[in-house]
Amino acid sequence: MNEIIIGIDLGTTNSEVAIVENGQVLVIADNNKKILPSFVGIDDQGDILVGESARNQYLVYPERTVKSIKRLMGQDIQVNLAGHTYAPQEISAIILKRLKAIAEQHVRHPVNKAVITVPAYFSDAQRQATREAGKIAGLEVVRMINEPTAAALAYGGSQLEQKRMLVYDLGGGTFDVSVVNIEAGVVEVLSSHGDNHLGGDDFDQQIIEYILDHLQETQGVDARRHSKALARITRAAEHAKLVLSDEPYARIEEEYLLEHEGAAIHLSLELSRIDYEAMIEDSINATIDAVHIAMKGAKLTPADIDEIVLVGGSTRTPCIRERLFNEFGFEPHSEVDPDLCVAMGAAIQAAMIGGQEVSAVLVDVTPYTYGTSAIGYLNSDYYPFTYVPIIHKNTALPNRKTEAFVTNHDGQEVVNVTIYQGEDPDALNNIKIGEFLVEGLQNVEAGNVVTLTLSLDLNGMLHVSAQEKATGLEKSITIKNVIPRFEKDTLDTARHRINKLFRQNDALRAVVKNEAPEIVEARKLSAKAEALFDKVSNEDKEDMIELMENINSCIESGSNERVQEYTVKLADIIYYLES
Amino acid sequence: MKTPYEILEVAEHASDNEIKQAYLQKVKLNPPDCDHEKFQQIYSAYETVKNKPSREKYALFNFPEADFDALLEQAFSTAQTSSISADHFDQLLRASIGDKTFLIGGSKKQAHE
Repeated sequence: MNEIIIGIDLGTTNSEVAIVENGQVLVIADNNKKILPSFVGIDDQGDILVGESARNQYLVYPERTVKSIKRLMGQDIQVNLAGHTYAPQEISAIILKRLKAIAEQHVRHPVNKAVITVPAYFSDAQRQATREAGKIAGLEVVRMINEPTAAALAYGGSQLEQKRMLVYDLGGGTFDVSVVNIEAGVVEVLSSHGDNHLGGDDFDQQIIEYILDHLQETQGVDARRHSKALARITRAAEHAKLVLSDEPYARIEEEYLLEHEGAAIHLSLELSRIDYEAMIEDSINATIDAVHIAMKGAKLTPADIDEIVLVGGSTRTPCIRERLFNEFGFEPHSEVDPDLCVAMGAAIQAAMIGGQEVSAVLVDVTPYTYGTSAIGYLNSDYYPFTYVPIIHKNTALPNRKTEAFVTNHDGQEVVNVTIYQGEDPDALNNIKIGEFLVEGLQNVEAGNVVTLTLSLDLNGMLHVSAQEKATGLEKSITIKNVIPRFEKDTLDTARHRINKLFRQNDALRAVVKNEAPEIVEARKLSAKAEALFDKVSNEDKEDMIELMENINSCIESGSNERVQEYTVKLADIIYYLES
Repeated sequence: MKTPYEILEVAEHASDNEIKQAYLQKVKLNPPDCDHEKFQQIYSAYETVKNKPSREKYALFNFPEADFDALLEQAFSTAQTSSISADHFDQLLRASIGDKTFLIGGSKKQAHE
């Protein structure tokens, strides 16, 4: 049996894990749910929570919960989680570990390898961070594939007819658009463009600002300073956004949001779809501009496109469909669940790598131009930082290009090589992604030839080397020094840290086995109550949380009688809610 | 050194679609996952000759049939005034390589298809 490789969509808001089983793509469900919310939290006992339960506690314990960690990937930042700080890679690793466990439970076999999807427009640093998250979670990331490409695979990998697709992928935190040609068993990405900080979270933020302004105007309260109120407003905003996908109006109601000068503040307002669409218009315009850039990159016109595929939960926004209809003259497709098709594509690619099927071959491109700077002319003026593009955007992966440069002055022993990402003729207007020195060059006249080789691998990651032609003196780097990154030992430390968090869970479960029956019962009921969180009013939820907290503290102090007391109360609420 | 046509195993007068189909066939046999260099060779061969503009560019810069010294001589001797315009030189250059470009860039017949 081949080693199992799982496909993972590690999303900003939601994550999924999928495999190909008996020739069928299957998104693996955990407790009947295929979608794992990308939330990580620590509960009262210092126990780690991932997914639904973490999302539920976000309302009451925002300081112990992390959401949308993907937006911080690749940045030199630490996030606070219950008094400890973690790198974004570590938080992502916790989600990956959970997905890995879900897959292992399904296949009843350890899983050590994964294909993970990343936004096409993810930079080198963001890709590097994703791979590191995999390592911390104990997963070898055998390949990272771009999300819109994965979706195209899920949609058209087995198609025989020629088809040109536009994949419009608007997720929680990122936006990608790719033009894909499917022909003769080859899924070929022709061009790709995007924005790695644009998504549904930004739409939520617009509504949050609207609510905050409303509270400020009508009640004179600044809710920004109240983390719990803010968490509830965030949830309410998200909910309103979802309602507006189907309805022309959404009511936003939060009772007892907070206390201000001794009085309770209730939130109650209405948001119309028209007003909401006006709020997000700039973002939508930006995505349509990106569509134009991708079409131009593929040298195609709207008439050449046969199909539009929508990916990502945010594409449920009705005005996006309208705008695309206006551009292309036909309705976009969304037969395959826009939340699941990326994970499905990842599983298909994983199966291909694992040798399971070879029905389609994938050719992807880089959305970025990479190059270096040299002394030259800019607008016919002498300029020391002229941009020299080496690998152009929309070039197929993998790709390796070499350019020759010459030293500028006699006896020049050092060349400083800087690598940029971007298209501006002035290198300084592009993003600097790494630099290194080639030292110890021959002491010769100006004109000593140094070659620079850029190579992009299948994961879209860049490797750079420079060589003095006459001597073969070489220096090479993999671009990953933009952020102070995880070296091998820090990776190991991180892995231990995260493992320890999970082991606490296990230890706890072990303890549970030897616990008194009333405590076991209390824990069962708490779990049951938590499962109801999504369906009940905030008031009921808070009552239950209060009881659960009391139960926990009583268990800790060993007062089993009082545990029973609270358990009865909790059971009453649950009975009332379920009837 | 193989020419792009040899790499893709197509005739030099093949149509855009013939070249594309040959490319897709080659990619199927040599996916990017397997042999990186082989794939890149196929990909750059395709990029070089995939359509008329790229074939003309390739014909111009890779088959320097033009003898620039002779062209210059000719330009000097035929120029009516003492100065040679860029246009004039360009015309001569085009004339001298015209046949070759015509052949590789696809015949007139195909252009009408």
